[in-house]
Amino acid sequence: MDPRKLTRIALIAAVYVTVTMMFQAISFGIIQVRISEALTVLPYFTPIAIWGLFIGCFLANLLGGFGLYDIVFGSLATLVAAFLTSKMPKAYLAPLPPVVVNALVVGGYLSIILHQPYWFAAFYVGLGQVIACYALGYPLLLFLKQRPSFLSFLRGDEQ
Amino acid sequence: MLKEITIGQYLKRDSYVHRLDPRTKVLSAVALITALFMINDLAGYLLMVFFLGLVSYLGQVPLSYLLQGLKPLLVVVVVTYLLNIFTVPGAVIWQVAGLTVTREGVVIGSLIAVRLVMLVAVASLLTLTTSAIDLTDALEKLLSPFKGVGVPAHELAMMMSIALRFIPTLLDEADKIMKAQMARGADFESGHMVRRMKSIIPLLVPLFVGALRRAEELAQAMEARCYRGGEERTRFKQQTFGPGDRLAALSVALVVGAVVWTRVG
Repeated sequence: MDPRKLTRIALIAAVYVTVTMMFQAISFGIIQVRISEALTVLPYFTPIAIWGLFIGCFLANLLGGFGLYDIVFGSLATLVAAFLTSKMPKAYLAPLPPVVVNALVVGGYLSIILHQPYWFAAFYVGLGQVIACYALGYPLLLFLKQRPSFLSFLRGDEQ
Repeated sequence: MLKEITIGQYLKRDSYVHRLDPRTKVLSAVALITALFMINDLAGYLLMVFFLGLVSYLGQVPLSYLLQGLKPLLVVVVVTYLLNIFTVPGAVIWQVAGLTVTREGVVIGSLIAVRLVMLVAVASLLTLTTSAIDLTDALEKLLSPFKGVGVPAHELAMMMSIALRFIPTLLDEADKIMKAQMARGADFESGHMVRRMKSIIPLLVPLFVGALRRAEELAQAMEARCYRGGEERTRFKQQTFGPGDRLAALSVALVVGAVVWTRVG
């Protein structure tokens, strides 16, 4: 693998973990929001971010979370969502996969771990994701979209 | 304000558990967590509590460290417990203001709370006794048999190590950016939810640009040193599976076996 791609993926992962740690379990009332999930809009710009988010989510879950379930299924959910985001045709659809996939998958194993009805857990997770991905992720996406120099830097185009 | 954040929770000691091959510890954690989900009686939980207690004693991990890992989940545990005692149907033992507490609810709620606590304890014991770099190395070794089917084991481990290396740097940078933006009048704490979320953008973007700059510099440094992937790379620290690992693997197998046996028998 090209080192420029490798280090970019690694640093995107590092940003994900850093932001997760800075705003650990920020909550609005009872809704838990993982701020770093806002970064899930990045695959809309470059497929490199898919792997960055996957590794970032893996490490963040490894350093704190519900143990193995979060590490394996949470990270895989992020991977699937990031892949779908990279395929989204319209900007306003980009934050949708992380909301839906995480609600279904993370809600699924949370409902097992916490012994709660599935729809309840899925709704709870989904709500937090809507806040992170639409209230923060979408404005972030619109902001970055207007900055071609940043985007070419992100993609690692030769300068 | 970000100074007190520690990366992972690795506790540097020279104990039997610390010296184990990280691969042994990763696989043991996987086995124990799977077993936790199969336990459905008190004896199984007692066995698990005893075993985890033994591991933390041998690993010189003070109980306070284990409990610290639970703090962020305390609310979830309590809420789950309450939800379960009020919603599970069964023999009513207490009634107040339209809410009923059932015997089954108390039992299930307690079991789930104990299970949650132990799930976190297993993961904490792993990360308390194994440094993050050792963990990524172990992951590379465990994934390398899957190289044939396209799993980039070396690259994944390499990227994880780089990410772990840069997290403290980025936390430091984030701290500076936050202060710089606050000096310019940025407000991260007031306003309604959408506004508060949007106020994070001026923090995220500079953090990102800084991170990408570091990625570019690191890539150039690697290229200059002829980095070309994992082939023929040698290691300073070799992981070896010794007699201690065999003993640990055997005892984990016994515990998991006992749990499976009570479930099947």
